[in-house]
Amino acid sequence: MKPLHIILLIMAAAGIGAVVSLYGNTTQYIAFKDAQDLAKENPGKEYHVVCTLNKQKPILYNPQKDPNYLEFWAVDSLGKEMKVIYGKPKPQDMERSQKMVLIGYQEAEYFRANSILSKCPSKYNEEPVNNR
Amino acid sequence: MLWPGNLGQFFIVLCTVASLGAAWYYFRAANKDLEQHRLLGRRLFYLQAFSVLAIFGILFWIIFKHRYEYYYAWRHSSNALPVYYMISCFWEGQEGSFLLWMFWNAVLGLILTRKAGQWEGPVMAVISFIQLGLSTMVLGLGQGTADWVIHVGSSPFDLLREQRPDFLQIPVMGTVGGPANYLQIFKDGNGLNQLLQNYWMVIHPPTLFLGFATAMVPFAYSIAGLWKNNDRGWVSPAITWSLVCVGILGAGIIMGGFWAYESLSFGGYWAWDPVENASLMPWLIMASASHMLLISKSTGRHLFTAHLLVQLSFWLVLYATFLTRSGILGEASVHSFTDLGLSGQLLILLLSIMLLSVLSALQKPRWQWSVIGGFVLLVIVFSLLTLFGGKTNQAQLTAVMKWTGVVVFIGVFGLFIYKLYSRTRTEQDDERWLSRELWMFIGAMFLILSLVQVFSATSIPVFNKLFGFSKAPAKPEEYNAFQLWLAMPVMLLMAIGQYFRWRDTDPKVLKKQLLQVLLISVVLTLLINLNFGINEPKYLLFLLVGMMLFIANVLYLRHQKKLQWLAWGGSVAHAGFGVLLVGVLVSSVNQKILTSSEGIRFASELNKDGKVDEKAVKFNRENVILYQNQPVQLGEFKATYQSVLQGKDNDSIDKYFKVFFTKFNKDGTLADSFTLLPKTQNNPKMGLLAEPSTRHFISRDIFTHVNYESSLEKKEPFSDFKETVAAPGETFLTESGKVKLRIDSVKRFNSEDGAAGVELRITAIRLQDSTVLFPKFVVNLSRNDFSSIPSLSSELGVLTDIINIEIPEPGQSADQVRFLIKTGERSPQKNYIVIKAIEFPWINLVWAGTIIMVVGFTMAVVYRVKQNAAA
Repeated sequence: MKPLHIILLIMAAAGIGAVVSLYGNTTQYIAFKDAQDLAKENPGKEYHVVCTLNKQKPILYNPQKDPNYLEFWAVDSLGKEMKVIYGKPKPQDMERSQKMVLIGYQEAEYFRANSILSKCPSKYNEEPVNNR
Repeated sequence: MLWPGNLGQFFIVLCTVASLGAAWYYFRAANKDLEQHRLLGRRLFYLQAFSVLAIFGILFWIIFKHRYEYYYAWRHSSNALPVYYMISCFWEGQEGSFLLWMFWNAVLGLILTRKAGQWEGPVMAVISFIQLGLSTMVLGLGQGTADWVIHVGSSPFDLLREQRPDFLQIPVMGTVGGPANYLQIFKDGNGLNQLLQNYWMVIHPPTLFLGFATAMVPFAYSIAGLWKNNDRGWVSPAITWSLVCVGILGAGIIMGGFWAYESLSFGGYWAWDPVENASLMPWLIMASASHMLLISKSTGRHLFTAHLLVQLSFWLVLYATFLTRSGILGEASVHSFTDLGLSGQLLILLLSIMLLSVLSALQKPRWQWSVIGGFVLLVIVFSLLTLFGGKTNQAQLTAVMKWTGVVVFIGVFGLFIYKLYSRTRTEQDDERWLSRELWMFIGAMFLILSLVQVFSATSIPVFNKLFGFSKAPAKPEEYNAFQLWLAMPVMLLMAIGQYFRWRDTDPKVLKKQLLQVLLISVVLTLLINLNFGINEPKYLLFLLVGMMLFIANVLYLRHQKKLQWLAWGGSVAHAGFGVLLVGVLVSSVNQKILTSSEGIRFASELNKDGKVDEKAVKFNRENVILYQNQPVQLGEFKATYQSVLQGKDNDSIDKYFKVFFTKFNKDGTLADSFTLLPKTQNNPKMGLLAEPSTRHFISRDIFTHVNYESSLEKKEPFSDFKETVAAPGETFLTESGKVKLRIDSVKRFNSEDGAAGVELRITAIRLQDSTVLFPKFVVNLSRNDFSSIPSLSSELGVLTDIINIEIPEPGQSADQVRFLIKTGERSPQKNYIVIKAIEFPWINLVWAGTIIMVVGFTMAVVYRVKQNAAA
């Protein structure tokens, strides 16, 4: 075998390995119910949950008590409601969001989000400016 | 005014037609070697370049003059925007950024008509074809019925009323008569995205697009080389252009990172966001391609890989365009362009360019025509099916089309690889283990591996769509885990590669030199780590390899001819890359959150004794609250939130928070002090935008941004109202008795509209705190009414309002005036900010490394240009 061939073989194997492990690792978008089931078998794994904010229930954020504690309720695509705890200040576009993607861990009673991606319809929206 | 738009639209069509003509005549010139066709092609290309300039000028005029009848001006600009940001809003939208790209293509084309010599015909044919593809993206032709519609491109000269017919029916119009007058309402534009209002956004996009545009030139040379059966003649000019591309694209990418660091609040310069990755991918491949070209030039080997990588790099430029502009990234990215519904056309553009590659690899016209025919047929059939396929079997139809597409794509791609390989293979001896070409090749392969990972992770949304997965986008940690281990061999090879000679190297000399490099690097790494303090073995290894990359290339300068200092470019660029990567390592591994706090613990974070179980802690509590005028220790600094400053404009929603940092020596003397002004903007459209404020030191940066502030809190209403009659100088209490009030003085005032009134100055005292309130009482004699303007303090939780004034009876002293004052109370609210502060050690190495790298690339390019001119 030529040196080149050996190298190419090793590289190809490494490349395939990288892709396989990437796609094996990458988390899926799931619902709260699935997250609860999966978390029992596999505690400490991160999940992505697509959901909406429940605007009827209060959003608790009291920075004077703890600037890194936010609590709210979210409803996933299947209609299941879940308490969410987030360890960062309250994102200001939250109330406006149409959809949120929560990334974090499912605990027995609540979902512990490490990050919240808010999808706001207005973010890039164009509204006529009402001039005087 | 409609004529500028019509003129602009005319130039867009002219540009498209001229590009088509230039491509055709250059194509003929290349095939038949006809001088007159070459000249005709050249003139048409000039016409095309002129059109691009004209479009550029007209669009800028429209933005500059605030012609809001044009959608582009209304959408991306506003009256208040300073001129230099009008340049940024030029390329905020897709159409403008396509124009920017076309502008650079035109400039590069003009250079090549002068410099390409015998290559002008085929190279310019390819470039004109690419320019044709891009100009269709801004054509803005639309045709259709209620059921189906075809768009070709999106024009920057569309009118507002065409793009947003709904605006004509908006109730706010009220007084406006009808559509003809609708512009009276639109006296101001929608405005430029607040985050893009940064000086780096003026310069970052042009640099990036120049990088994208230069990737086209080696691509065109590679196609031309295959087309004209010219084995290696295309390699020398392609090397120069690939170096230009790597240098400029690299600088453009880092500029984007610097913008993110300066104006976004995620706290860093690189987040593996798909949009960042999209520009990184062509860079990785162009960097490895330039090395394969060097091998081809020096040894004649690896022509196949050189062709493949050069072409792949430009495909990736177009793939990046597809990713960021088709809307496919959706929620995977924080910043992609809005979807203009052009994803089909973008896909066709990408595939046409790849088709060009396939055609150049196939030699026989018969083969070429069948591939073209097949492609056109497939596009037509797919378009018709998409438009008229009927709504009944949509899912089935899409699946069939998808899989046919995938199978055909793989087949044609395989054909391309096979033909390219069989045409470019050369019979040569095996490479020697100690040859430079072998190790350069291995380095290039590692870069490709790096691409494979970035590509497959970034493309997750594409594969989701294509194969119906529901994978979430990859996280930065997943990228880092791979890229750390791929970067190290690349760095090592960049360090030692030059010590190998072409073809073979004397082992004794090599051993001596490499040992020297290793020894010096180990010593220096250990020394420098006294400052850095990196403990983890893998990061320490990374530091060592980074140090070797720097040291080896600096030492290598000894072996270069002193007089030909321009030839040092490669070593300088490599050394700069080493500095950059060491900077990346240290500033990320050793970054310190200065605002870590304990906060409330979750039940799951506590062990049985109720104490914190460190292993179970999954949150980093990274923000602290700073109350006004209450110093808090952040790392070695004492930080005090002093005051809030309102932005300059009257109705500005910008707030700057003045935070004063001090540091003391052990003996208590002041060592250092500085003020940071992190900014927030409570943007009605985008929520709270935080702009960080950073103090730059040579060896570290202190980075702060505000995530929340007291005025965002929902206020509880006032209650416990009480009415008191008081005279000036008299003291009284609120209902609860917690706040003591005293009327200090009475001031008369006349307001502009003829009303007059009095203003009281009241001192309010609660515990140790006190403040001054100014309630007003206004009487309007002409309208025969009166009103009061209350004054309140959130900090003390008190409100005062003048209900009535008891004017003294005639004959009484004027001092006898009494005020009926209503007081209200709520719980006092302190002013505070929630702030995050990060210390980035040695982040300046990242920027310094970039500058060294760009200098190195410039030297290398100048050297190559001189060499090519001499040859």
